[in-house]
Amino acid sequence: MKHLYVFLCFVFSANLLFAQSTISGTVKDSQSANVIPGVTVILKGKGASTQTDAAGRFTLTASPTDSLTFTFIGYVSRTLPVGDQTFFNISLQSSDQSLEEVVVVGYGTQRKIDLTGAIAQVKGEEIANMPNANPISSLQGKVAGLTISNSGTPGGAPTVRIRGINSTNNSNPLYVVDGVLHDNIDFISPQDIETIDVLRDPSSIAIYGLRGASGVIAVTLKKAARGRTAINFTGSVGVNKVNDRIELVDAAGFKELYDRQLVNLGKAPFDYSKYTANTDWQDLVLRSAFNSNNNLSISNSGEKSSTQFSLGHSKQEGVVRNGDYERFTARLNQEIKVSERIRVGGEIAGSYWKMKPTNASLTNALWAAPIVDVQYDERTYYAMPSFQRAQVGNPIASLNRMDGTSLQRGYRFVGSLFGEIKILDNLTWKSTVYTDLGFNNSRGYSPLATRFIYLGENGGADSFFQDDRVYTSVNQAAQEYRRFQQDHTLTWEQSFNEDHRLTGVAGFTTVYNDNTGISGTRRDTTLNVPNDPNFWYWDIINENSNPKGDYAGNGSKNSVVGLFARANYAFKNKYLVNATIRRDGSSKFAPKNRWGTFGSVGLGWVVSEEEFFKSIEKINFMKLRFAWGKIGNSNGVADNVYLPGLTNGATAIFGDNIYSSVAPAYIPDPNLHWEVVNGMDLGLELKAFNSKLSAEVNLYDRTTSDILTSLTLPSLQTSYFTNLGKITNRGIEVTLGWNNQVNDFSYGINANYSYNKNFVNSIGDKIDFKITGNEGANVTETGKSIGYFYGYKQVGIYQTLADLDKMPKFADSAPGDIAFADINGDGKIGPEDRTYLGTPFPPHNFGINLSFGYKNFDLQVEGHGVAGNKIYAQRRTRNFADLNYEANRLDAWTAPGTSNVEPILDNSRGNNYQFSSYFLEPGDFFRIRTLQLGYSFGDALLEKSIIRKARVFVSAQNLKTWSKVTGYTPEAAISSIIAGGTDNATYPLPATYTFGVNLSF
Amino acid sequence: MSKYLNIALALGSSIILFSSCEKFLDTAPQGKYTEDNYPYPEGGSTYDQYIFPAYNDLRSYSVHVDGFVNATSIRSDDADKGSTASDGGADVIAMDNFPVLPSSGRANSLWLGYYGLINKTNRAIHLMDSVQNPNQDEAMKIQTEAEAKFIRGYSYFMLVRLFGSVPKFDKWFEDPASQNNIPQSTAGEIYAFIEEDLKFAAQNLPDVWDRQYIGRATKGAANGILAKVYLTQKKWQPAYDAANMVRGSGLYDLSQSYAEIFSEKGENGKESVFEIQGTASADQQTANGIQYANLQGVRGSGNWNLGWGWNVPSPVLEAAYEAGDPRKARTILYSSTTATKHFSLFNEQMPVYPSEVPNPMYNHKVLSDPALRNSISRGSWWMNIRILRYADIVLMMSEAANELGRTDEARTLLNEVRERARRGAATGVLPNVTNTDQAGLRDKIRHERRIELAMEHDRFFDLVRWGTAQTALHAAGKTNFQNSRDVLLPIPQAQIDITKGVLKQNPGY
Repeated sequence: MKHLYVFLCFVFSANLLFAQSTISGTVKDSQSANVIPGVTVILKGKGASTQTDAAGRFTLTASPTDSLTFTFIGYVSRTLPVGDQTFFNISLQSSDQSLEEVVVVGYGTQRKIDLTGAIAQVKGEEIANMPNANPISSLQGKVAGLTISNSGTPGGAPTVRIRGINSTNNSNPLYVVDGVLHDNIDFISPQDIETIDVLRDPSSIAIYGLRGASGVIAVTLKKAARGRTAINFTGSVGVNKVNDRIELVDAAGFKELYDRQLVNLGKAPFDYSKYTANTDWQDLVLRSAFNSNNNLSISNSGEKSSTQFSLGHSKQEGVVRNGDYERFTARLNQEIKVSERIRVGGEIAGSYWKMKPTNASLTNALWAAPIVDVQYDERTYYAMPSFQRAQVGNPIASLNRMDGTSLQRGYRFVGSLFGEIKILDNLTWKSTVYTDLGFNNSRGYSPLATRFIYLGENGGADSFFQDDRVYTSVNQAAQEYRRFQQDHTLTWEQSFNEDHRLTGVAGFTTVYNDNTGISGTRRDTTLNVPNDPNFWYWDIINENSNPKGDYAGNGSKNSVVGLFARANYAFKNKYLVNATIRRDGSSKFAPKNRWGTFGSVGLGWVVSEEEFFKSIEKINFMKLRFAWGKIGNSNGVADNVYLPGLTNGATAIFGDNIYSSVAPAYIPDPNLHWEVVNGMDLGLELKAFNSKLSAEVNLYDRTTSDILTSLTLPSLQTSYFTNLGKITNRGIEVTLGWNNQVNDFSYGINANYSYNKNFVNSIGDKIDFKITGNEGANVTETGKSIGYFYGYKQVGIYQTLADLDKMPKFADSAPGDIAFADINGDGKIGPEDRTYLGTPFPPHNFGINLSFGYKNFDLQVEGHGVAGNKIYAQRRTRNFADLNYEANRLDAWTAPGTSNVEPILDNSRGNNYQFSSYFLEPGDFFRIRTLQLGYSFGDALLEKSIIRKARVFVSAQNLKTWSKVTGYTPEAAISSIIAGGTDNATYPLPATYTFGVNLSF
Repeated sequence: MSKYLNIALALGSSIILFSSCEKFLDTAPQGKYTEDNYPYPEGGSTYDQYIFPAYNDLRSYSVHVDGFVNATSIRSDDADKGSTASDGGADVIAMDNFPVLPSSGRANSLWLGYYGLINKTNRAIHLMDSVQNPNQDEAMKIQTEAEAKFIRGYSYFMLVRLFGSVPKFDKWFEDPASQNNIPQSTAGEIYAFIEEDLKFAAQNLPDVWDRQYIGRATKGAANGILAKVYLTQKKWQPAYDAANMVRGSGLYDLSQSYAEIFSEKGENGKESVFEIQGTASADQQTANGIQYANLQGVRGSGNWNLGWGWNVPSPVLEAAYEAGDPRKARTILYSSTTATKHFSLFNEQMPVYPSEVPNPMYNHKVLSDPALRNSISRGSWWMNIRILRYADIVLMMSEAANELGRTDEARTLLNEVRERARRGAATGVLPNVTNTDQAGLRDKIRHERRIELAMEHDRFFDLVRWGTAQTALHAAGKTNFQNSRDVLLPIPQAQIDITKGVLKQNPGY
C-alpha cells in the first residue's frame, strides 16, 4: 500500500518536471499485421485517453515519464513507458478471449478461468441477428443442459428448463438483468444484450438463495465502450410461414369416414345433399406473417461519464390469423465517475407493447367439417352440420366477428440507481436500488351475434338465424405490477504476494412485489354499441338503464429478505476455492418456517498451471472443478397459502334468494416450508492445440427434497399445497468446439450434448397415494421419472372374432379395436395392464453450430434436437362429437387385414380412447434452427463514407425439421410438470425467413 | 477517520434494516379472506356460512347435472342418450348402452361431486365444533349440524346406490394427506351410517323454513329420503313409518296439478319435499343456476337451441302409458314431423324431426317458460330439480304397505296418485286400481311409480332394487346390460390409481 502512494507521489511530482509533447503511432494485429481501429489508448495515471482511428492511428499529448496502455477487446493489453519516443509501432497480440472472459456470478463478476462452477456464456452477437423478439428463444441449442421449448405465439415466451425438472411445482429459472431479479425478460431488445450467462450448478446459484434453485440466466446489457462514440443499427424484416401442417382429410375423405362411422354405429347415413363444399379450414386460419426487428444504439464514453442509449422496435405477426404483437423499447444507461473513489450510475429501460390477440381457434379449424362452405353472403355464414354444430363453430365466422375487438397494451419501466464508494483501496461499498413497474391495460368489445344459415338436412328447408339475445358489451381491464429491490454489498479484494488472491463479498438484499388488477364488462341491452374502438369504454353504456355488469379486482403482495456472503480464493491461479452462504426469509411462509440458511462450496484445480503439466504443449489449459451446494426454493408458491384461505364465489340459493358464502380455497398446510435442493457438480475444462480445441464436460447430481407440490388428495377436489418427497436429476453435459483460421478462411464447429436422468426417489413418507396428471395419463410416483406416461401398450388390432378368442382382451372388445399388451399375463386386459410408456421430458438434448467465414462472407448453420421423449397427441382422443378426421384415420380398420394400427371408426368403442401408446408419438427431432449468410462490406468501400462497418444478411429460422410428430411442432409442451408432453394443437412454430443489415457508424 | 465513519454508518444502517425485516416479511393476503379474519355474521347465521358451501355444491355440474342425469336416467330403460349419434362420445354412449368403463369421466365426476359435498359437510361440522362463537346458540348449532348430516346422508345414499361399497369419511381430517386414503366400507356399513345421519337430521331439522329460506332441508325431506333408504334395503316397516312421518306432518299434499309441478310456478309447492334450488336473471344467467334443463333441452337451432338434447324418453316408456294418461304429454315433448305438427305445453310449434332436430322426443318436464327464455336465456338454468316430491312419498308408502301385506291400504294410497293424475282427463281414463292380491298390486304400484316419476331419476335404482333391471333393460334393447356387473358403476379408475389400489374395483369390471 505504502509503495503505491510513494509511486503516485513520484508520478505526480514527475509531471511537474517534464515537458509535454505530442506522440503518435499505429496499432496493428501481431499476426495479420492489419491495423486495428478503435483501440483505447490510455495515459496511465492521468486519465487522458483516445482511440485509434480507422487506419489504426492515434495521437496524444504525453510526457516522457508517462506510460501508455493499449486495450482492445480480444487482445492482450499492453503497457509501455513513453520515454523519448514520439512515434509508436504497436502490435497487439490477440488474447485467448475465453480466458479473459468475465461472467456474472451474482452480486459481482468473476473471470471465467477462476470459476469453480458450471457457467456457460452466450455472446450478444449470437442472438442479435435472430428474428426473435424474446432473446431467450435464441439460446435454443446453444448451451448444454439448457432445454428451451419455443412458442410460436407473437410475444410468447419460451419454456426454459436448466438441468431437468427439479420440482413438481415450478422449474422456471430466475432471470437476472444487470442485478435485477425477474421472472421474464420480454422487455429487453435482443440487440441490447452484451452477454447471457447460464448458471447451472449449485455453487453458482447459491448466492441467489431461494430464487435460483432451478438455475439462473444472468443478462448483462451493453454499456458504453470506453473512449469513443459509436452508433450501431441492426434491422431485419422477414416473413413467417407454417411449413408443417397437421394433415387433415378433405371433404371427400370426411364423407367417406363419417359414412363408415355411422354404419358402424348402426345409424342412418347423413344427408350431404346441401353440404357440397370442400373447405380447408386450417388453411383459412393460417397465414404468412410479417416480422421485423430494429434496434439503434448510441454510446459515448468520456473520462468522467459514459452513456449508452438505445431504441428498439419489434413487430411480429402471428401465423394464426390475425394476432400480432408490437414492442418498442428504449434504454438509457449512464455512469458518472464523481471522483477516483466514487462512482454513481443509473439505468432506465422502458418498453411499450401492444397486442392484438388471435381470434381464430386452431382446434376449431381442425375440428370443423370440410364439407361446409364459409360464407353465404357478406353478412351471413354457414353453420356447421347438426352433428357438430353445438361443439364446433364456423371458424371464420367467429374469427371475423371478434377480429380486432381486443386492444391490449402494456408499459414496463425497469430502473436502477447505484452508488459505489471505495472506502479503502481494496474495500468497496455498493448500494443499488431497483424498481420494476408494469402497467397493462386492455379494452375490448363483444359485437352482436353473427347471422348464420342453417342448411336443411333430410329434406328440411334452409333457415336463417341471428341470435337477438346477444347484446353488445364493452370491457376494460388494468393491471399494475410494482417491484422494488435493493442490494447493498461490501466487496473486499486483496492480493498477498503474487500468490494469493482473495475476494470477499457480503451483502444484504430485499425484494418486494405488489400487484393489483381490475377488470369489468358492461352490457348494453337497449342500444348497440358500434364496432369502433372509439366507443369501447364503460361510460359509453348508460349505467342506469342497463344491468350493472361484472367487475373484478384483485391484488397480491410478497417480500423476500436475504443476507449473503461469498469468498473466492485463488492460490497461484492454480487452486481455487469458492464458498457462499445465504440466509433468506420469505413472506410466503409462516413466521416459524420463514427463514432458511443455504450455502455452497466450490473447488478448482487448474492442472495446466502445474509444473509437471507445462511439458504437455498441446494442451493450453485444463481445469478440474467440483462444487457442492444447498439451495432453497420457493418458486411457484402462492402468497400466504399456509393460512386457511377462503373463496367467496359460492352461493346458496333458496327460492330466488341468493346468499353469499365462503368455502376453503384450498387445504392449508401450516408447516409449509422451503424446498431444498442439494447439488453436486464435477467439471473438466480443456483447451488444446493453440486453443483451437475447447472442451467442457460436466457431471451433475442434484436432489430436491421437501418438494413443494400442489396435490389432489383422494376423494377431495380441493388442492393441498405441501412439502413432500425427493427428486433426483443426474446428468452429463458435453461441449466441444474447434475454431480455426486458415488464411482467408475461418471456421468453427461447436457442438453440445446433454443427458439428464430424472428419478423420483420418494413422494414423501406421509403420502401413500399417486400423483396423477391429465386424467391419469401422467403419473408421478416413487421409483420412476417425474410425470411419466402411464397407459396401455398397443400390440395391434383385433382382426377377427377368432383373434379375440386367442388374445387377451377387455370383456367388451370387438374386431377392429386396439389390441393391448397383457402386461401382467393374466390372459385378459384390464387396468393392471397399464405400464410405463415413456417420459414427456426429453432426456437427450443436442445442438450444433457451424460457422464459416471467407473474406467478406460469413455463414452460420445451427441445428438442434432432442431425443428420448414421447408426445401425447391428445387432440386425437376427442370424440365428444363428430369432428373432422386427421389423415391417419383414412387407414382405419374396416375388415380383417386392413390395418394393424388404426382402430375402427366407431366412437362408441370406449376402449380405443383409453390412454395408450396409440396416441403417443416419438418426440425425437432434429431441426435446422438457423441458416444465416452474411456479407460484410470491405474497408475500401466504406473508407469514404461515415459508415464504419456494414453487413447484410439473409437468414432462415426453423428451416427444416425431421420428426415423426404429427402436430405443428415437435417441441414438447414441457411447461406442465405433472401433466406434461401433451399436444392439443399447440400454436405452430413457424419457419422465419429474414433479410437484415448491421451498420456501425 | 472518515473511512471508519463510513463503515460505522454502513453497519448502523444495516442493523436498522435487519430489525425491520420481520415486519417487512409480514405481508397479508390481498383481497382474500382467511378463516381467521372472515367477518362471520354474528348470531345463528354464523352457522349458515358453514353449511352454505354445501348448498352451493348441490347445484354443481358433477353433483346434479351431467353424471347424475346419465347414471340415473340415461342408464335406465325409460330414457336414451338422445342428441346426434355420436354426441358426447364413448363416455356417454357407454352410459346408454353399457358397460361403463372404469375410465368413465362421468363416473369419476360423480364420485368427486358427492365426496366434495361430503367433505364440505364434514368441514361444517368440524368448524361448528372447533370455532368458538361468543353468541353461540346451541339450538341453531344442532339445526345446522342436522342440515349437514342431511346432505351427507343424501350424498352417501347416492354413492352407495351408484358405486356400492365406498370409503366412509365421517369427519374432517386434520391431516388429509395422510388420512384421506382409506379403504371402502361395505354397502351395509354405509347404509347404517346414512340411517344414522338422516335420523339425526329428521329429529333436528325444522318442519318448514321462512319464505326467504324456502327449499332448505326440512324434517320432511330427511324422513322422505330416509324412507327411500329403507325401501332400498327392503326394510318395509321403517320405510312405511318414515314416509308416514312426512304424510302425517300435513305439510304436503297432491293438490298441485301434474302439469304445474314441473313448471316454474310449481317450484317449492305443496308437492315439493326436497328440491335443488336454482335461479337466474338476464344479468346472471348461469352463476346461481343449474345446467340441468340445458343438458336435456331441445337440440334445435336458433330459438330452438335450448340445450344438448340428452336424456330423451325411450320408445318403451312411450308405450308404457295407459291410454289417455295426461301425464304422457307432460313427460314427452314430441318434435313435429313433416306429417304432423306438435306443440309444447306453452303452445309453441315444435321443430321438425329429423330435418330440424335430431330426436323425435325430448323431456317435457324440463321445458321452461318461453317468456323467461326470452327475457333471460334459452339455457333455462333457473329450473329446479325435483329430488323428492309428495307423490313419491305416497307411492313409497303404498309399496311398503303392500310388501307388509296391507294390500287395501296400499291400493288406497296408489289410487290417490291416480286420482290426481286423471284430473281433467276424459272419463274412464286411469281408473282406480282394483287389485286385491299382493303380487298383482305390486305390479300396479311399480307401473304407477314408473309413470308418475318418469324421467325423474328413480327408475334405474328402482329396477335394481326390484331385481328386474336385466329384464327391463334387455326389453328396451340395452342388451349389453349384465346384472352381475352393470347394476353398479365401476369405481373410477382415476380414484383407484390415486389411492394406489386401496380402493377395489366392483365385480365384473
